[in-house]
Amino acid sequence: MSEIKTKQLRELVEAAFPELDTVIGWEAGYDALHTTPVFIKDAKDIGKLVWNPLCVRNLSGYLVKTPPVQSADENKKIGIFVKGCDSRSIVALIQEKFITRDKLYIFGVPCQGTIDWRRVMKAAPLKNIQSVKMDEKQLVVEDADGTHSFALEDVLARKCLRCAYPNPLMYDVLVGEPVAPRVTVKNAYKDVQELENRSLEERLAFWTKELDRCIRCYACRNACPLCVCQDRCIAETREPKWLSQYMHTSEKFLFHFIHSMHLAGRCTECGECERVCPMGIPVTLMKEELNKITRELLNYEAGVDPNAVPPLLTFSPNETGI
Amino acid sequence: MSAKVFIAQENLGTVLDGLSRKIRLWVPASAGEDKHGVEFVPYRPGLAPVLDRQSTILPKKVMLPQVEKLFSYEYLKNPEDPSKVRVKLEEPEDFEPTLVFGAHPCDVKGFFVFDRVFTQGPFVDGYYKKRRENTLFATVVCQEADSACFCSSVGSGPADQAGSDFWIMPVEGGYVVEALTDRALPFMDALGTAPTEAQETAAKELHEQVARQQVGNLDLQDSVESFKTRFEQTAYWQAMAGQCLSCGICTYVCPTCYCFTISDEMKGLKGERLRSWDSCMFCTYTAEASGHNPRPTKLERYRNRVGHKFSYFPEKYDGMIACCGCGRCIRSCPVSIDIRKVVQELKENACVCA
Repeated sequence: MSEIKTKQLRELVEAAFPELDTVIGWEAGYDALHTTPVFIKDAKDIGKLVWNPLCVRNLSGYLVKTPPVQSADENKKIGIFVKGCDSRSIVALIQEKFITRDKLYIFGVPCQGTIDWRRVMKAAPLKNIQSVKMDEKQLVVEDADGTHSFALEDVLARKCLRCAYPNPLMYDVLVGEPVAPRVTVKNAYKDVQELENRSLEERLAFWTKELDRCIRCYACRNACPLCVCQDRCIAETREPKWLSQYMHTSEKFLFHFIHSMHLAGRCTECGECERVCPMGIPVTLMKEELNKITRELLNYEAGVDPNAVPPLLTFSPNETGI
Repeated sequence: MSAKVFIAQENLGTVLDGLSRKIRLWVPASAGEDKHGVEFVPYRPGLAPVLDRQSTILPKKVMLPQVEKLFSYEYLKNPEDPSKVRVKLEEPEDFEPTLVFGAHPCDVKGFFVFDRVFTQGPFVDGYYKKRRENTLFATVVCQEADSACFCSSVGSGPADQAGSDFWIMPVEGGYVVEALTDRALPFMDALGTAPTEAQETAAKELHEQVARQQVGNLDLQDSVESFKTRFEQTAYWQAMAGQCLSCGICTYVCPTCYCFTISDEMKGLKGERLRSWDSCMFCTYTAEASGHNPRPTKLERYRNRVGHKFSYFPEKYDGMIACCGCGRCIRSCPVSIDIRKVVQELKENACVCA
């Protein structure tokens, strides 16, 4: 199935290419279980593009992170591939005026979930991976030791298991047919609900244990398309100096809470922060909690309406939620 | 004293308990049942070491802690003349004998790079040197190579014993442990009993079988000149580093990355001078007080990382490349950037697009 979509997306890029400067997509990675972002500037490279459940990276960050991908020719657009969750990041970036819609050509890909390769490796350390296949129920990996099958539920990313937006919300062209969401928005917060049900002490113990493993590599921040403070992040500023160089849990807590608070009502739950964490810390949970609160108090959802203003970026004297 | 012992799997916990009473012990462990992040942590009874897969966070921090106190200081004012201040300094004395149990050959190999910088250059780093002298390594023969591994491409291999004091070979029902250095001998009797002939043969066969394995078949050496040719080709580096997120994962999980920063953490008149890991991927790396940064974007930063490992370092240290082929930078990279590809392409077509 992913072969058909790959073929289709290459054809769509081919058709749109004359008006595009660069296309940001995914290509095969260092083994069959990985893909890597690719920037297509030349039509002869279109054949590199792929689509499969291993196309995990949310590419929208490349539009804003230093140095951003920009068109050298004013009349040409930047093409970009987005899954449902990624499209919400695009919407949020447009809302916050970091990018403009008319400079983009968006290839939307309906998504049935992406694979968390670490969950795969956890289930069975694989050697010399030869091929990866997926259908609606399972992932089949062929490696030096033979064939391994995994139930999708066991190897999909956590964000995909709670996905209410598998279909892109904004696009110029759609690659394939829309798919059915796994959950409704209302039911998307079971993971944080489960944490909320625990006592304060238990929650503190949970986060202390999780965050203590943080190595402060800042991948969660750098992977986040909405973390736009860039080189002025308070994690690293010297004046004022908010965080010390100590590796105490308190430094790690402070960083992650500030990171989360900066995303309150802005986070589109693409899950990149959690995906890229080398230590497997479920950092998106913090943002989900804040989004849940934003939804309950202010009836607002990030990255859905390009014309809306995120509640914490505005002031309304008539605010009714709080 | 015996040069080889057998530790039965069910006795491993008891053996480590015993060892930890004699020497400070670090083992690879996973933080939780559902977690993949294996890292080296100080041993405590009950902790089950993860010996069957490469750690995410290697034992680099045993030798070069992510944060270490170089000294503490206090400003003492002279009550007779408050304008005069004396500084009182206190050095840490925390260099206990340490054993790293369950390292992989690549983890140990990385320290040869550190040694050149911290103990054999014009400046000797006393902190590192003392730890290095006081640390022993018990290394597991590696059967865990995955598609990111390439130790054979950089002159090592999954059965490389260089730098190890003990050699651990998993056999049926447990481990055959061999002493490789005199430093290991005093511990051997406490580890286990003499292996049976069958166990010894199994271990020997395993070692020979693993030693024949070629993990990665690229030639990543002798890149100094090609790197220099490529240095100013920004289009090439843009193509290589375009995906990079400028996070520090690759450097933090690397056994050969040793860049550090120094800062003073002070409260009132007392403080501590800290040395902590830095990363050439961070925007503050090489930022000057003037505000100028010679490496302003990820392009220059990534080029520095490749250059340091495959050009600057070998140029300075008799051809030694600062990479042990563990593949962690590839495996942990959020966007799967492959340093092998970059280094290989340094040579290919290096002279074409000048």
